[in-house]
Amino acid sequence: MVIDSQLMSFFTAGSLIVIGIFAALFLDNLIKKIIGLAFLADGVNLFIITMGYKAGGIVYILLPNMTISDFAQNASYPLPFALVLTSIVIGASTLAVMLGLVIVLNRRHGSLSASKILGEKESK
Amino acid sequence: MNELIAVMVILPIASALFLNLLHNKDRTIKILAFITAIILPVIPLIATYGAHFFGGYVPLAQNMTIGQNLPSLITGTQLFQFHPGIVYLFNSAQQLMIFILCLIAFFAIFTSINEIKRPSGVYAFLMFMGTASVSAILLSDDIFNLFVFFEIAALAQVGIIVASGIKNNYETALKYILLGNIAGPLLLLGIALLLGITGNVNITDIIFSIKNGLVDPHSPVILMALGLITFGWLYASGLPPFHTIKSAVYSKALPHGAALLQAFSVFSMVAIGIIILRIFSYLPFSKTAIIGISLLAMVLGITMAIVQTDFKRILGFLAVGELGYIGLGLGLGTAFGITAGLFQAVNEAIITAFLFIGFGTVLYKTRTSDTRKLGGMMFINPRLALLVLLAGFAMAGVPPLNAFQSKLMLIQASIQSGLPELGMIMILLSIVTFMTFMKAFYTIYMRPKPAELEVIDNKIPKSTIISMVVFLLVCIILGLFPQIATNSLQALAAGLV
Repeated sequence: MVIDSQLMSFFTAGSLIVIGIFAALFLDNLIKKIIGLAFLADGVNLFIITMGYKAGGIVYILLPNMTISDFAQNASYPLPFALVLTSIVIGASTLAVMLGLVIVLNRRHGSLSASKILGEKESK
Repeated sequence: MNELIAVMVILPIASALFLNLLHNKDRTIKILAFITAIILPVIPLIATYGAHFFGGYVPLAQNMTIGQNLPSLITGTQLFQFHPGIVYLFNSAQQLMIFILCLIAFFAIFTSINEIKRPSGVYAFLMFMGTASVSAILLSDDIFNLFVFFEIAALAQVGIIVASGIKNNYETALKYILLGNIAGPLLLLGIALLLGITGNVNITDIIFSIKNGLVDPHSPVILMALGLITFGWLYASGLPPFHTIKSAVYSKALPHGAALLQAFSVFSMVAIGIIILRIFSYLPFSKTAIIGISLLAMVLGITMAIVQTDFKRILGFLAVGELGYIGLGLGLGTAFGITAGLFQAVNEAIITAFLFIGFGTVLYKTRTSDTRKLGGMMFINPRLALLVLLAGFAMAGVPPLNAFQSKLMLIQASIQSGLPELGMIMILLSIVTFMTFMKAFYTIYMRPKPAELEVIDNKIPKSTIISMVVFLLVCIILGLFPQIATNSLQALAAGLV
């Protein structure tokens, strides 16, 4: 059985999003929460990349021996890839900030438990 | 001078990046931050209305030199009409809102460089980055560009909380960024769905595709995109379920930081709310949902403010409650209602900034924001107390101050829309807001000073008092001459109906 690669990619993206949301909401360990959030962002990125996929398509670079009509008919849609590139950069920045905050809070509280670190705040 | 449209975003970013590099150069930081901050409100006033096309990429239909050489495969389709690059739109409504945002940024920076003994270049960097991001959110006609600045604004807000040095600020910052990392990707997923169905991220083009039948306007994909973008909108503005974290964010920032943070929330709410209305207003339940969320924000924000004992938390919840008024105006969906909502946004941004800076003087003198430990502040500085009292009157909608005009317009709009119940709720909640404010004011200023309260003998900087007086003047001017604001907002509101 041949499985459609685009469909599989959509399924993988959906799985990553669901796992990511579950981890972010229900896991107590802050590092695991952050890994879940990275899954969520990666799932969305994969979803966007999959949307830009074109079966039998060519890379969106107009080569010297190519006519504009051929290019327009066969090239993949470049916009999703450009968006994902930006999204990855943003994701890396927010991931770094989150991990930086967790390092500081781990030093202060001696724990990575979200219920202990973030729950204590309200009781003080 | 359409180039100035881009300068509204580029100047604060460039200045922020430069200030970030200046360590231990206090005087240089002060001078540079002040100069940039004073230029910022001037730019929207001198820029001409219109569009700025990044890279000069106008739609092919408007650029016949390129357009005529293209094959019919492109020219024969709607691709000819679409915008190939990022577009910023600037009109009278954006002019007013960016001017007010930059004015608040100026006074927040002006106050901070005088109140903080050793001003940090990093703190100024965060304030300018946030201001640039929210300006871009207001200007952008590109929904992905909006997402990028949505994320930068969230990071800048986290930085402002971390820089405050207030107890438990790191915990609040982490909570906020964790939630932001759920809301951000979900907003992006909503944008991706719109991209998938319309092939565009330009908002004007998305609307063109929907209105001209290029896509099914009632497709479940569009409905899902609406839900996901709305979730991002709730996070950016601090509407329920994010009202608790948003008020915590305000309470963990320094007063001048909180003044700016709430302006970010108000204008992000307006900008994304306008986009939701522009794209999805043909769906009848979209407006009902906005009204429902806004009512919830008003009730939860104002009732939760009553039980707080930290005045920054009280202000935070009151600010969330006031956001509900803006949402109601947008949700009514009539030109008059939307104008009233936008006018309320402008007023709320000014008044809440005024209150945060005003109550910040109490923190400056006592180092505490716990109302149970405070009292007698009126006898220490009666003039400041009067200014804070007037700010509270403005928030509650006491005439002739500005929020009176916008709230009156909102009530009139709700009656005109056949929803007088909403008007009644607004009046009732305004009374509760007034009572909550007066309770806090009495506790902090009017009751006898507790014996254990230590008042530090430091003089309130003149910059703080100047900021408050200017905010009061703006409140009075907009209260007496509301048409200054409403004339600027009417065209945008009419375009959304």
